[in-house]
Order: sequence, then C-alpha cells, then structure tokens
Amino acid sequence: MGNGLTGAPDVALRDDELQRIRERLGREPTTVELHAFDAQWSEHCSYKSSRHHLKRLPADGSTVVIGPGEDAGALHLGVHDGVRYAVVIAHESHNHPSQIVPFEGAATGIGGIVRDVLCMGAEVIGVADPLRLGTNDAKGHPGYVARGVVDGIGGYGNAIGVPNIAGDAYFERGFNENCLVNVVALGIVREDDLIHSYAPKGAEDWEIVLVGKATDPSGFGGASFSSLTLDAQESEVNKGAVQVPDPFLKNVLMRASYRVFGLLRERKIVAAFKDLGAGGIMGCSAEITAQGGYGAEIDLDKVNVAIEGMPPEVIAVGETQERLLWLLPADVATDVLRIYNEEFTLPQVAHNARAAVIGRVTAQRRYVLRYRGATVMDVESDFLTGSIRDELPYTEVIRHQGAVQELPAVDIETLFPAVLAHRDVASREPIYRRYDAVVRGCTVLPRGTADAGVLAPIPGSRLGVALAVAGNPRYGRIDSGFAAEFAVLEAMRAVVAVGARPLGLSDCLNFGNPRKPDQYGEFVAAVDGLGRAATRLDLPIVSGNVSLYNESADGSAVPASTIVACVGVLEDVAQVVTPGLKETRSALLWIGSRELVVGGSVLAEVLGIEGPLPSISYGAERTAVGIVRDAIARGVVRSCRAIRDGGVLTAVARLAFDAHLRGRAIGAEIDFGNPLCEAGGFLCEVSDDSEIDLTGTLRIGETIGGSELVVNGIRFSIPQLYAVWSQPLAELYP
Amino acid sequence: MSGKIAVPVFPGTNSEDETVRLLGDCGGDAELVHWSDAERLGTYDAYVLSGGFAYEDRIRAGAIAAHDRIMDFVAHAAERGKLVLGICNGAQILLEAGLVPGTSVGRKPTAAFAKNAPEPHFVCRHVYMRLAVEPSRSAITAALPKDALVPAWAAHAEGRLAATPQRLDEIVAGDHLAFVYAHNDGTVDAAAVPNGSALGCAGLVNRAGNVLAIMPHPERDGWNFNHPDRCEGTDVLAPSGGAALFRSFVVAVA
Repeated sequence: MGNGLTGAPDVALRDDELQRIRERLGREPTTVELHAFDAQWSEHCSYKSSRHHLKRLPADGSTVVIGPGEDAGALHLGVHDGVRYAVVIAHESHNHPSQIVPFEGAATGIGGIVRDVLCMGAEVIGVADPLRLGTNDAKGHPGYVARGVVDGIGGYGNAIGVPNIAGDAYFERGFNENCLVNVVALGIVREDDLIHSYAPKGAEDWEIVLVGKATDPSGFGGASFSSLTLDAQESEVNKGAVQVPDPFLKNVLMRASYRVFGLLRERKIVAAFKDLGAGGIMGCSAEITAQGGYGAEIDLDKVNVAIEGMPPEVIAVGETQERLLWLLPADVATDVLRIYNEEFTLPQVAHNARAAVIGRVTAQRRYVLRYRGATVMDVESDFLTGSIRDELPYTEVIRHQGAVQELPAVDIETLFPAVLAHRDVASREPIYRRYDAVVRGCTVLPRGTADAGVLAPIPGSRLGVALAVAGNPRYGRIDSGFAAEFAVLEAMRAVVAVGARPLGLSDCLNFGNPRKPDQYGEFVAAVDGLGRAATRLDLPIVSGNVSLYNESADGSAVPASTIVACVGVLEDVAQVVTPGLKETRSALLWIGSRELVVGGSVLAEVLGIEGPLPSISYGAERTAVGIVRDAIARGVVRSCRAIRDGGVLTAVARLAFDAHLRGRAIGAEIDFGNPLCEAGGFLCEVSDDSEIDLTGTLRIGETIGGSELVVNGIRFSIPQLYAVWSQPLAELYP
Repeated sequence: MSGKIAVPVFPGTNSEDETVRLLGDCGGDAELVHWSDAERLGTYDAYVLSGGFAYEDRIRAGAIAAHDRIMDFVAHAAERGKLVLGICNGAQILLEAGLVPGTSVGRKPTAAFAKNAPEPHFVCRHVYMRLAVEPSRSAITAALPKDALVPAWAAHAEGRLAATPQRLDEIVAGDHLAFVYAHNDGTVDAAAVPNGSALGCAGLVNRAGNVLAIMPHPERDGWNFNHPDRCEGTDVLAPSGGAALFRSFVVAVA
C-alpha cells in the first residue's frame, strides 16, 4: 500500500481488470483513474464475487418500503396521527480496520453505519453491535482487540447520542486473527420524507455539495485494503488505510442534517443524499449520479482539505470519515450551505469542516474530475460504477453432522453452573454497561434485560420498535448453511419474545477468501440458508453487507458467520413483555422445538462431545410463534425468553436473575430430561394456560416463592448462580 | 402564565430533545437555543443545561463550555435568582463554571466531577437519587416530598464528586448536598453509588438554592414507557418516575 501522500500507483487491481480498463478507455488510465477503478472494482465496493448470489435473497414483501440497493433499507412501521412511518435499517461490518486499530476501527464502524441511516432522511434512533472476538483471554492481542472494539463502539455511540439497544458477543479462537465487528443502525422517518441515494429526475445541472470533515489522507486505499487478507507484518502499513473517527463533529453534522431535512420538507424539494464510504468522494459522487442516469463534473480544488499538497487521487478516493454528499438545486444549495456553515458553524467545530459546492450533475453519463485546471479523470459513469462480476468456483458444502453419540448421563449439578459460566453464556453486562442505552429518552427495554431492545421512537405515539441480532459461530464452524438459517430463527424469536411482530431482516455475511473454493463454498451455502429461512418465514431482507477475506495467516477462514438482525413492531408499547419472573405459581411452558440434540450447543463444548444439529421445521416454527404471539396478545404471558445458548434452563435462570435484580424473590421448579439442549423455542411464564393451544407445548414446571431453582430435584441458589454467571467477563472488561 | 425555559445547545450536546419534550409534557414552556443563537438567551426565565459532550469534553468534562458565551447569560441569570438546572454534562458545566456548589466567590470551580472510580470509564446504570436536603432548600425541589426518591439513569465517565476535605466539609455544612445515590428502598450505601462519588453525591445545589446540578438523567426514566414494569396508571405515554423533578422545576418556574 502507498502511504497516502506519494500517490504511488500500487493498487490491488488484477491484470485482467487493468486490461479491461485499458481497452475501454483506449489509452493508459491516469493515476487518478487507476485508484478510482481500484476502489470501485474492489470486492468491498463492487460485491463482484457475491452480488449474483445475493440476488437469491428475498427482498419483497408487504412491509418493504425500500429494499436493498440503497445505503439503507426501510420497513413500514405503522401509522401515527395519519402519517405513515418507516423504520430504516443498515447493517455493515468493520472487521479489517478493527483488527488493526480496534478503537478507531470499531468507532468508525458506528460512524459509517449511522451515516447510512442518516442519508435516508431519517433520525437515527439506535445502534447494535454483534461482535465476534478472539478467545476471552484478558492478556495478549485478542484481549486488546476485544477491549478496544468495545471502547470504540461506546466512545462513538455515546458521544453522538444514539442508544445502543442490541448486540451480542461470541469469543472463540477462530476470531483471534480476524475479529468481526458488525454494526447495525436504526432510524425513524415519515415515509413521505424518505431521501434516496440517487439523483432524482430533473437533476441536471444541480449542485454537488460535499459536507463534513476536511478531506485528509486518512483511509486512502481503505476499500481495497478491506478486500485483502490481513497479514500481520503488513498491519503497521495498513494502519494508514484506517479512518479517524470524530463523533463530536458527527454529533453536529447529524443535528444540522435534521435541520436540512426540515427545510426540504417545508419547500417540498426532492433531493439526493449519500454517505461517503468506500471510494471516498469519487465513489459516492459517481454512484449517486450514475444510479439516477447522470454523470458528474467535480472540481477537486473546491474540496475543503486538511492539508495542502495532497495528490488528486488522495483527495478523490481517500476515505476521510464524517462526510456526506448532497445533490441539490442551486437555490436550495445556498440555504443548505448556510445551515451547515453558519447556523451549525461547522468550520468552528472542526478544522476546515464545512459544506461546499464541489461540482455539478451532468446529462452526459461521464464521470469527470478536474484538478488545477487539468482533467485528471474522464470515464463513462456506467463503466466505472456498473456491476462487474467474478464467477469463482466453489466447493459444495457437505453438511457435517456430528456422529450420533449416546449422551453421557448429564450431571446437572455440575454442568449447569459450568454452562452459565461458559464464555458464550456469561453476562455481557461488563460490555454493554459501557454503552449508553437510554439517551434520546425513548428506550423501553434497554440492552441486557431482554432478548431484544425496544424503543418508542415517535413522540406521542404508542408504536414500538424491537431489534435483535443473532449468528452463532458454534454452528458456523459445523455447517455454514445451517448456521445462516438458524441465525434467522434466533433473531426472529428474540423479537417475538418481547411481544413484537417481526417485520424484516438485515444481514452481514462474514466469510473467508472467495478465491478458495472451500471458503467460497461456505459463503454460497450461507446465502442459500439465509434465503431459505427468510423466504419460509416471510421476512424480507432489506439491507445487507458482505465481508470476505476474513482469513488468517495460516490460510484458515473465520467460522462461517452469517449475522442477522431482525426488526419488529409493537403496535402498542404497553404490550411489551417485561423482564423477569413475575409471580409464584405461574406455569412455565416450553413452546416450540424440544429436540434432544446437542450438536453445536454449549453443553457439547463443555462435555467435549459432538452430535447432530437440531432439525429445522418452518411449519412448526410458525405455529410456535403464533402460539406465543397469541398468548402475549391475550395478556397471559408474564415473562418470556427465546431459548438460545445454554438451553431452556439458562432461559429460566435469566428470568430468575432479572426477578432477583428487581427484588422479587421468585424461583422455579422444573422437571425435564436434559434442559441444557439448545434446539430452540420459547420459555414462557404464563398466568393461565387453559386457553393456550398446547399442541407442541410442554409444561416443564412452575414458579415458586423464594430464591431457588429446583431442577429435576436438585436445588440451586439463584444469587449463587447469578454470581457464577455475572463474573466471567469481568477480567477482560474491568 | 408560565415562564419560558431555555435549553441551550452547545456543540456536542446530545440530550436536548428529550429534555425539552419532558419539560413540555410536565407543563413547561421550553425550547432549544443553539449556540449560534446565544444572544437570544437573555430573554428566558429559566434554563436547563442538558446532557452530552459539549465541546467534546476537551481538557475536562464541561471545562470549555463553562467559558462559552452561553454561560455568560446563564451565570448572569443565576446571579439574579433565575432557576438553572444542569443534568449530567450540564451539571459538569455548572461545576466548572463555579455556579455550584458556590462555596467560593466568583466563577471559580471549587469541586469537580472527576473520572469515575473504581471503574474509570463510561458507565450506564439505572439509579435512584434521594433528596438529601429539605425540599424547600431549593425552589427547584420544593414540590418534591421530603426524602423523595427520583429514578434516573447514570450515564457518564466523569461523575465522581471530588474536592478537598475542607471543601467537602463546606458542601455538607452549607447544605449543598442536594441528592445522594440510593437503592430503590431509599437506603444508602456504597453499592448504590455508580461512580465512587464523594459523599455519595448525585447532585449539588448552590447557596441561594436556584442552581441545581445533578449527574443522573431523570428524563431518560421520565415516561411510563421508559419503565413498563413500574407503570404508574394506565397511560404508557404519561410522564412519571423521573418526571417528578421536572414537574417540580416547572412549578417553580411558573
């Protein structure tokens, strides 16, 4: 990689790609063009080896307002005061940067995803952070990464004033050299105020307005960097490709942009707004114009820069954070500049930050860059931004079923505490207590108290939004396709468990090297699994991201990691299922799959055994969801949890812990063969099971007074179990 | 006719909208005033400095904002007896500006909200603040019951009251310790304190009683939907919980 200042033409384009460019241009590309194509044709921007597979994912449905293809998707949330509202969702990864410089990498991940939601014209209402981290050893590089990532997410999200409402963390050796930092952001918007990230009809001669931080050399080469396998020796060099976060400036940019949204609404202007991500000014301005059927002419001398003397390719392609791009009619642009520069004083908030007109939209579909009077880039817009495709060979994934072993006698007395203390089950509070969960005053269920976070995002409205994430790497290691399907099920169940109706999904596919047929095969199998589950459950996928090349120095890939976020709606937040067991003598019902298999479970890890994976029946799943939703609607559900890592017994324990923390001395007595199996389903505390369809439902016990869990006759103290569960991550996150 | 309340916005403020909204839902007449519009601040009857990271909390939380043009108006108003409530970053700014605890003459800080201990990082945790002075000690708390427990969220990295032993004695002797952290039954011990604050301090009031600085955010536990398991009455959208302090403030402004 170049150091960002010399403009050395060391790019990641392959020879065949270079040849294609030469032939199309009929000449050698300029240095600027070379870097532009390098970014735009990188895996990161072009999805060249993934896009044709992603077409198999369901993107339509009655709830879809905006499907995939823009910076974020949008789902219809409901109507308040006669106005239709949508919830906007975006989902990305910031894996490579976070492995190199964890704090900055994770912080800019939040910064970028927030811009993706903001540029749809939405107010940003929440973020989530599914993390896959190395083994939870406080010392050593994985521990440094694990702490830095969490500090970066908190440091950024807290400062911009967006609550962190969902997330998860898995710790495992397979992520030691490649952490996965996925970020999800939610926004709320009136559907008639949505802003698209492409030029609308009639945009010819409109102004192109760049707004935000002064362009600097940081993040030069970021797009192609993200599309390469990390090499530890290169990491010092690659640090130059990571961007620098500025949440302080972002805070002001967000508020100023909200003011601009108000202006556009008043004047009934349809504009275009887009985040600057990979490929910088070039990538953003080329796509926003080309996708509307236009070209662009940009004068790089009009770009506000942090230091003088940067070569044009760095100004054009560098990935300085905290920047966005508007397309606006000239008279509106003047007012927008005034809002950013005078009312919100951007130039005083950060060195040379501002909104500036840097070019105009043209009818010819050419992308033209000028610098010091010379034309340094002049190419067909569609050639630059059009889809390119790499048909790569892949190996079909053979589903790896663990041998059916006779389950050893399960000694609950020792295994239950061991499961609660397992790294995948233990309390995440040491992580999420560093995140502001309640800023904006809209939080209904903060992170950690339930399976999904819940917000009441519209002032004066009872509408609620639920968000949950899932993606279990223990399954990913065994079977990529199954793991993807199961991630959809787990995210959906989590949203149902708080009383919400699932609306749709976002995803991020985190995989290894697409040029290795076995690793690419895992990716393809995951797309199939994801598509199958989403289709069968009628859940459209409206936003997504692919992160490839998550590969270690020894050539092995991360565990197959399809990470899914599910958004749900509560028609009335008063219907939310609140945390913790509520009363004694409630029935405890297990609704849904109760298969006694251990493949991929925490129990299997603790015992060091293998076994078959749970089977998936979409019909049974829909029935279970129907029973739970119906029981919640009739008000008989006192508390509920989706059954996930650690099995039904862990779900009961979590409900008991939440009661304990609220001063309610309520325990439970349950009787079930192996309550540490993780096949799925829901655990519900109900006041009255007389009207519940008990087909596929099992009463496994009831709540009792006092602070004990009695499991198959063995007594556990809830405060003691709580201590076992709450401690394990405290050393890593002091 | 109630008085007009300004919620000033510094670059970096982040809790302004919910603060204005809860003041409104409690019957107040509140609006935002941005930094570029600071000259308007002279015309208000009361001020609420909301949470956030004004000026990025450079140097120390609140240190830069304390010298902002906005604070010229706020300090002038405070000297004339107008009501000023600072929440979280707003409280840090009031301390840095020397407006609370007000044990010295002039705008000089005599105490600080320092880095949390023993966890020296941002902590987000639900808390209760117990009124530790007579309600009438401050006009802002006058409508609260004696020993009132106000639910709120602590969400800060720098909220530990720190001062010399002599200054701490003055805070106690001068009846400046307005709120202490407590459990939900009103009991007070170290486990109830999220940040190691001296005296278990959650809030300080100035000598005259018209300026109150609190670290936790009552507005984040200010409506029934913020605490659905402690719903007061049937309307999930109604102000409740932490709103008690905002109501008392609004009553005092009227």
